[in-house]
Amino acid sequence: MKVSRKYLDPVMLSRLGNIDLIARCAVEGFFSGLHPSPFHGFSVEYSDHRDYQPGDELKFLDWKVFGRSDKLYIKQFQQETNVTVYILLDSSRSMQFSGNGSVRKIDYGSYLSAALSYLMLGQSDSVSLILFGETIRERIPARSRRTHLNVILTALERNKVSGQTDLAEVLHTVAETANRRGLVILISDLLDDIDDIYKGLAHLRYLNHDVIIFHTLDHQELKLDYEGLIQFEDLESKAALRTFPESLKHSYQDAVSDFIEDIEKTAGKSGIDYCLLDTSEPLDKAFLAYLAKRKRLM
Amino acid sequence: MSFTAFIFMLGGLAVVGPLLAHLLAKPRFRRVPFTMLRFLRAGQVESQSRRRFRDLLMLLLRCAIIVLIAMLFAQPRLVAEQETEEPAAVYYLGLDNSQSMAYSDGTGSYFDKMVDSAKEYIGKGDERGEFNIFSLASGQWSKGLNKEQALGAVGKVAIVPDKADISDFVSALSERREKKGHSEVSVFLCSDFTKNTLKEFLEVSEPAKVDNISFKAIVSSKAVSNASITDAHVGGIVDGKLTLNVTVVNYGETSQSGLVRAKVGQESSEGVEVTVGVNERMVFPVSIDIKSAGKEDSYLPVELSLSSGDGLVEDDTFYLAVSLPEQKSINVVLLDSGIGETFLLKTAFKALSRMESFDTINVKQVLYSDFQVSDMGKADVIICSSIHSRLGGMSGELENFVSTGGKIVFFMTEKAESRSLMKLWQSGLISALPGDLVKGQARIEPRTLVSESGTMESDDVALKALSNYKLETIVLTGYFECKGHAESVCQWRLDNGYGFVYVKRFGNGSTVFINSSADDSLGGLTKSNASLAFCRYLLGRSTQIGEHSFRYGERALLDASEMEMQFADEKEFWVETCDGKKHRAAIAESLLIIPSAGGVGWVKTLAKPVRYAGINLVENETNMVRPATEQIAALTGRVFPVAPAEQVETAGVFSDNKYEPIWKIFAWIIIGLLLIEPVVANRLKR
Repeated sequence: MKVSRKYLDPVMLSRLGNIDLIARCAVEGFFSGLHPSPFHGFSVEYSDHRDYQPGDELKFLDWKVFGRSDKLYIKQFQQETNVTVYILLDSSRSMQFSGNGSVRKIDYGSYLSAALSYLMLGQSDSVSLILFGETIRERIPARSRRTHLNVILTALERNKVSGQTDLAEVLHTVAETANRRGLVILISDLLDDIDDIYKGLAHLRYLNHDVIIFHTLDHQELKLDYEGLIQFEDLESKAALRTFPESLKHSYQDAVSDFIEDIEKTAGKSGIDYCLLDTSEPLDKAFLAYLAKRKRLM
Repeated sequence: MSFTAFIFMLGGLAVVGPLLAHLLAKPRFRRVPFTMLRFLRAGQVESQSRRRFRDLLMLLLRCAIIVLIAMLFAQPRLVAEQETEEPAAVYYLGLDNSQSMAYSDGTGSYFDKMVDSAKEYIGKGDERGEFNIFSLASGQWSKGLNKEQALGAVGKVAIVPDKADISDFVSALSERREKKGHSEVSVFLCSDFTKNTLKEFLEVSEPAKVDNISFKAIVSSKAVSNASITDAHVGGIVDGKLTLNVTVVNYGETSQSGLVRAKVGQESSEGVEVTVGVNERMVFPVSIDIKSAGKEDSYLPVELSLSSGDGLVEDDTFYLAVSLPEQKSINVVLLDSGIGETFLLKTAFKALSRMESFDTINVKQVLYSDFQVSDMGKADVIICSSIHSRLGGMSGELENFVSTGGKIVFFMTEKAESRSLMKLWQSGLISALPGDLVKGQARIEPRTLVSESGTMESDDVALKALSNYKLETIVLTGYFECKGHAESVCQWRLDNGYGFVYVKRFGNGSTVFINSSADDSLGGLTKSNASLAFCRYLLGRSTQIGEHSFRYGERALLDASEMEMQFADEKEFWVETCDGKKHRAAIAESLLIIPSAGGVGWVKTLAKPVRYAGINLVENETNMVRPATEQIAALTGRVFPVAPAEQVETAGVFSDNKYEPIWKIFAWIIIGLLLIEPVVANRLKR
């Protein structure tokens, strides 16, 4: 694994302990692994020069400098605040699940939230964090100051999983209370009534919010790689089920695939970006999804 | 289906184990927290029913394996045929396939005539009858045959070089009589009824009752013409010619004449004309040159043949293996002081050397003062007339001489030099330490004193030869009070208890101490008539010609070599028998025991030196003297008395059901189930 990619691995990040450091490592690790920054900024205020790299847009070339020195330099600009981002992190009990060797879904969601906040605040976007279970438990209002990151990270560190999921209710509440149109990032396992979820998402879209769903699932939830006789106990409802998972594996995987496909299709129809995240995989997939979305918003 | 060992079926109760396990065992579930239970529930119902089915199937499979194993141990068998109906008649045919049946009078052999008679008898038998055919010489049975099978079985009977033996035939009939009380038992005997065969009938002590007895004596209508070499012995070896005394017997009804020849390898003797009258037995000497053979081979396979043109050629050859003594030279060095102490010994050795049956003896007389190490180089035996001072000085060389296989003999005189004596005693060369000289008369004990284990093997024959002389008549006029060495063997004593001859092994050789002088200064041994035998004893193994021939049916034996005896427990030793097959031979008491001769001819060792033994026909087997019909009738009637069958209650005691073992089927089924079980277990997991 490349050094930069190492800081995107959730297991590696969990060992860092400090969520501030986690956010920094994840984001910088991501960018150092990319092509020289095509996402540096979108404002008109000059910030810096750097060497031209193949792939850079020619419109950013400083032709005057070229005329004087015969060298190609790219002009960089400071970014302006133009988007309000609402990060909705599911903190119900189902999010505390972790399969063999992977991080808990809540941890994965927290790292992702922290990293995105770090990234967005670095681009002078306003970031709001909403932690929810059956209802909204904590809401950090949207701010664009760099110091706002500390507030977000403190809230993430303080966050504990509890209760069941009532995602529809939460989404309605967010839709009604968000006073500025913005980008809603939902980080959840979506283990709720699917129709209700659609209604909540539709509500957000109706209010012209852009939505990205980071569907966070553990590898075991996707594959059911268990052996022997197992009594499964639901983390939220405490219901139990005794079974021989190897006999159910195929039907389970089919059902989960149908579920994911259903969400993806419905989200797609509504103009909602959907990104399935496996907690055993690095965070860069989420970053790319976000940045692609962010670029479309410009 | 039934079972031979039904008790093993109790093992089937072991199915209780898996049954209880199935009923009582509760599955252990590992508790795992999970989230997406709703996706699991869909397949859960199907999974549970599938698991129950799998468990049940596995239980049935495992129970089946246990029950089948129990059944396998109980040796299942299938009733192949339930004999509800006994044959109307049971026929027992005793067919003589002994060597004499090979006789041919020009109109066909006795054996062919016998086969025709047997087929004719079978042809006349009941269609539903049971036929049992016994070959009298080879002792083989063909039982429970129908008519067609019986005709085929008769055609397969072949002559073997043995005599007819009816004891098995009679005992089988007795057993049949006990088992079957219903069927009529008929016996048919077909033979030439030679002297040997009739003797067999005479020796039967327990007759077998039958319903019918008939016989067919195969005899020639012409005068019987048969002469045979029945025996041969070695007459001697003179000028490299081996003379054999060959016994020729006329077993026929006409005078016989022909030539007897001896053959060794490619070498053949001149034919000796023989003429033998009716019922005459004559011995003819036959000589064959063995000069070349005798030097290289110690065993000669001598094949003696009679060319008489009679009706039976198989008894015209006699096989006799002759073992010759090794032809070698023995170099003897006689050491004396120059006053003629060894004169008598020298005379005796020269006389012994002139004897034709002994090896060549080269005697060299050397004075002690002239005795050099080079004299030992060619010597096999050194005979010291006394313990001279020169011997003490050369004790090291003497030790070397004896330890490398030489033999040294010390005679004692009054002049024995004490320092040399002590030196030789300390080095172990002298087997007894002489003490004070006793000037008095003593006689030699006639018997040797050594035990079997203490006997020095190579001296055995010579020792026996010496024992034949009246040693007790030999008077010694002086002797020493001797003390034997701890490792020595005292082979002779004097009548006063002191030792006379001590022998001791030293390395590969041996030393002999004689408590007397070589001349007659202390005793009259070398002047006695036993002097030659005594000198032969001093030299070691005596010559002896061995004869090795056996009769077919006797246990054939071959001499084991020293190497074979030494490694008897570690190695395998193989012999080739008359039929060309190779067999492993057992070794016991210096002999190789051959398990089966396999016919008439030669048996020989495969290891060198090749040792042979001749295997010959049973004595008198081909005595073709025509039997009297009344005598045959009387003897067969005695052995097979005709009596009505006694009704024997057989129900529940003797069952005539034929069973076919079917354990192999069970074994295959078990193997199949054991292979299927893991496949089923694995397959149903999904």
